[in-house]
Amino acid sequence: MDFIPHNDKTIAEMLDVIGVKSLQELFQDIPKDLIIEKLNLPSGLSEPDLLKQFEKITQKNKVYSSSFLGGGCYNHYIPSLVDFVTSRSEFYTSYTPYQAEASQGYLQAIYEYQTIISRLTQMDVANASMYDGSTALAEAAIMSTIITRKDTIILFKGIHPEYEEVVKTYCWGQNINIVYASEDNLIEKLNGNVAALLFQSPNFFGDIEDISKFAKNIREIAPNCLIIQAMTDPTCLGILNPPGLTDIDIFVAEGQSFGLGLSFGGPGLGIFTAKQKYLRKMPGRLIGKTTEINGEKTGFILTLQAREQHIRREKASSNICTNQALCALATLTYLLALGRTGLKEVATQNIQKAHYVKKELSKIPGYEILNKKPTYNEFLVKCPNIDSLINLCKQRDLQPPLKISSYYPEMKDIALVCVTEMNSKNSIDTFLEIARIVSNNKTEGE
Amino acid sequence: MISNIQLIFDKENEGNQQNFVPKMDIDQTELDEILQASLLRKDLPIPNIPEINIVRHFIRLSNKNYGVDTGIYPLGSCTMKYNPKVNETIVKLPGFTRIHPLQEENQGCLGLLYHISKQLGEITGMDGFTLQPAAGAHGELVGLLIIKKYFESKGIKKQKIIVPDSAHGTNPASAKMAGFSIIELISNEFGEIPLDQLEFAMQDGDVAGIMLTNPNTLGVFDRQIKEITRIVHENGGLCYYDGANLNPMLGICRPRDMGFDIVHLNLHKTFSTPHGGGGPGSGPIGVVKELIPFLPIPCLISTENGIVCREIDNKSIGRIKAFWGNFGVIVRAYAYILALGSEGLKKVGQIAVLNANYLRILLQQKYILPYNRICQHEFVLSDQGIPNDITTEDIAKRILDYGIYAPTIYFPLIVPGALMIEPTETESKQSLDYFIEVMNKIYEETKQNPELLKNAPQNMPVKRLDAVLAARKPILHD
Repeated sequence: MDFIPHNDKTIAEMLDVIGVKSLQELFQDIPKDLIIEKLNLPSGLSEPDLLKQFEKITQKNKVYSSSFLGGGCYNHYIPSLVDFVTSRSEFYTSYTPYQAEASQGYLQAIYEYQTIISRLTQMDVANASMYDGSTALAEAAIMSTIITRKDTIILFKGIHPEYEEVVKTYCWGQNINIVYASEDNLIEKLNGNVAALLFQSPNFFGDIEDISKFAKNIREIAPNCLIIQAMTDPTCLGILNPPGLTDIDIFVAEGQSFGLGLSFGGPGLGIFTAKQKYLRKMPGRLIGKTTEINGEKTGFILTLQAREQHIRREKASSNICTNQALCALATLTYLLALGRTGLKEVATQNIQKAHYVKKELSKIPGYEILNKKPTYNEFLVKCPNIDSLINLCKQRDLQPPLKISSYYPEMKDIALVCVTEMNSKNSIDTFLEIARIVSNNKTEGE
Repeated sequence: MISNIQLIFDKENEGNQQNFVPKMDIDQTELDEILQASLLRKDLPIPNIPEINIVRHFIRLSNKNYGVDTGIYPLGSCTMKYNPKVNETIVKLPGFTRIHPLQEENQGCLGLLYHISKQLGEITGMDGFTLQPAAGAHGELVGLLIIKKYFESKGIKKQKIIVPDSAHGTNPASAKMAGFSIIELISNEFGEIPLDQLEFAMQDGDVAGIMLTNPNTLGVFDRQIKEITRIVHENGGLCYYDGANLNPMLGICRPRDMGFDIVHLNLHKTFSTPHGGGGPGSGPIGVVKELIPFLPIPCLISTENGIVCREIDNKSIGRIKAFWGNFGVIVRAYAYILALGSEGLKKVGQIAVLNANYLRILLQQKYILPYNRICQHEFVLSDQGIPNDITTEDIAKRILDYGIYAPTIYFPLIVPGALMIEPTETESKQSLDYFIEVMNKIYEETKQNPELLKNAPQNMPVKRLDAVLAARKPILHD
């Protein structure tokens, strides 16, 4: 099939107006030897045949009825409202709102997104969003070097390993040095050349970091050093203290949990927020409120564009020229649908259910919870036989937890377990039952 | 005065419904046993709004927004073509939406990624692809990091990239993000790259390569493209193809054959995925064989055990995004390529160029067309010669009044008062004729009634907005 509205007669008429004899003649500027005969691709498909083909493709993926897998992508409920709003084609078939007067609907929605993110995080300013959490963190690292004119950043232990790698790639591009630190040696790694300390909380292993313990030291030893926090599941902000109240300079998060679904990890949403004083160094789109030039009405417009590539070219603060507008719209809708009450309830259920699983697992011989700090909806557990645990989960239609050795080969027999509001008592009981079976088998084997 | 806008936050209507959270079915522990009180937030300033109010709010907002489904969207260089509805059905299949990026039973997803890479290879002539970049600009950054790494691996230090003055603004910005400085080349009177200046610039020795769009932002195919890439190669540089304007080349001519080493595509332009109001997009990067080791991770290969990630090559630039790129966008593009097939894609290229030239011929009867040649997917008018101090912006705002989205304005920079028009292949002749009629009417208005243009738009929810005020005193949230 194709989506071309002309018939042959129309094409002939239009060629006539242009004054050429054939469609080929329209390509007269292209050297003859560059013109190809045809692409070596199959013929097109009708809509029913296309759908059949995709059914076959999706059958090669397994949809689990319940999941204990997180690690940066989380299974949360998505209200039907989210799909309803993002399927309005006035939104999804539009472009970046350069013509503000014809884009007031979307501009207002993104302004509302910025508002709700500021309120949720208690940070001064939020931009219109970035590609995802990992690139938002990398952009934050670069931003800190622009603000401080220093060329070293510290990566604190516990950042999502894929985020760490993305930061590393971006920093290599700009000749920024990276230093790795943990709680034990952070103070000795700090010095006057450090542009920022990057940490994640709750971190990749599930720990909720209490940065206030270090903040005072950091401000004393390296007064210019920015403190940058990343987060992979911001539903925790339904109950946890927001970054804006803990002296964070730049806060970034992956917004996938807010109504975007798993979708094999993308598209996601890079939530990007900062203190007011860094506003003009922020990357990404910003929507501002203003008024008509010759009138009284209020309106919304892309603003502070002087930072951006299409005006500043190589002097821009970033090459970013889009946000993830539709994902930001989904996130806004999600947060509104849940509201204060719902978001608090989601966060409560996540922490309570995960805590329950943690507590029950720790009672089973052979399991050891490795987190020393409080956790939200993920935690690390040492298992008697992780492969057996994973296989049994699969047999019972449970998406098994993450085998952490896939990122850290030295961490053997350790699972990163994720429990969300979507895990029913039933699925939790099954999981615990499997854990007991593995424990018994191991004991019997010995 | 009653404000013309009502924010969703003004609609608060204290409900306490919890329609979207399952019933709690396990025994709870006191929260202070789980974590200390200092970690808990005291206030969550998000409203509780009844569902019907949220729905009405967004319907009202959608009525104040213009998309391709509303009407012609002739935004140059953005390729605002029709977004097939079947793609939206496909991407919502549970076999995609409920698949976790770290789960093992994922051959459907990996197979799709692998196959679209091969298809894009056939379409562009490139040997290897990465689908990781989340947008065109992200792809550009990746392409430039590949160039950087390529020279690093050879122990050669090259710090400059050539970018013509007609280039998209992202090109120099991306080059800078990859640590390069820019040499700008001035286009000649045909809008093409002057070969002598290129040779001169390349002799610098410090030049890693060139970034080009072909057809360029004037919509003109650079007739000397093979000479250009030859000169760059002979001087040890690499050639980067900005695929923003690939649409008219589909099934006609391939960047690899033109001599390019690296190409980025915009799946949201050429391959019909919705622009979403500015994202999510997808910006795959294709490379020639020699550059495959430098592609970001993960990189897929086909084996006896199915599609798997290849071993990490120490030449790789590393990871540039978590997980597998903007998968949902890639699914739509794959559906589009399968639906159109070989013949359909070629027809896209042909009709995109037919539509653009039809508009070009009929609009230049009134408007000035500084680079007057047969064009490819787009062409650029100028506001020069328009009477009564009417500017491009005035014309653009007046176009909105007629229920049409405005073309790209003031770009490319090499045309004074540019109006950059790209109709795409999915507009009917009737729709193009309406656009011409509107443009002709506006031309008459510039002479008869210039005030209409200066005060435009009149028929939109708001009149022209004060951008200076917005930037001077930024109000970014309520």
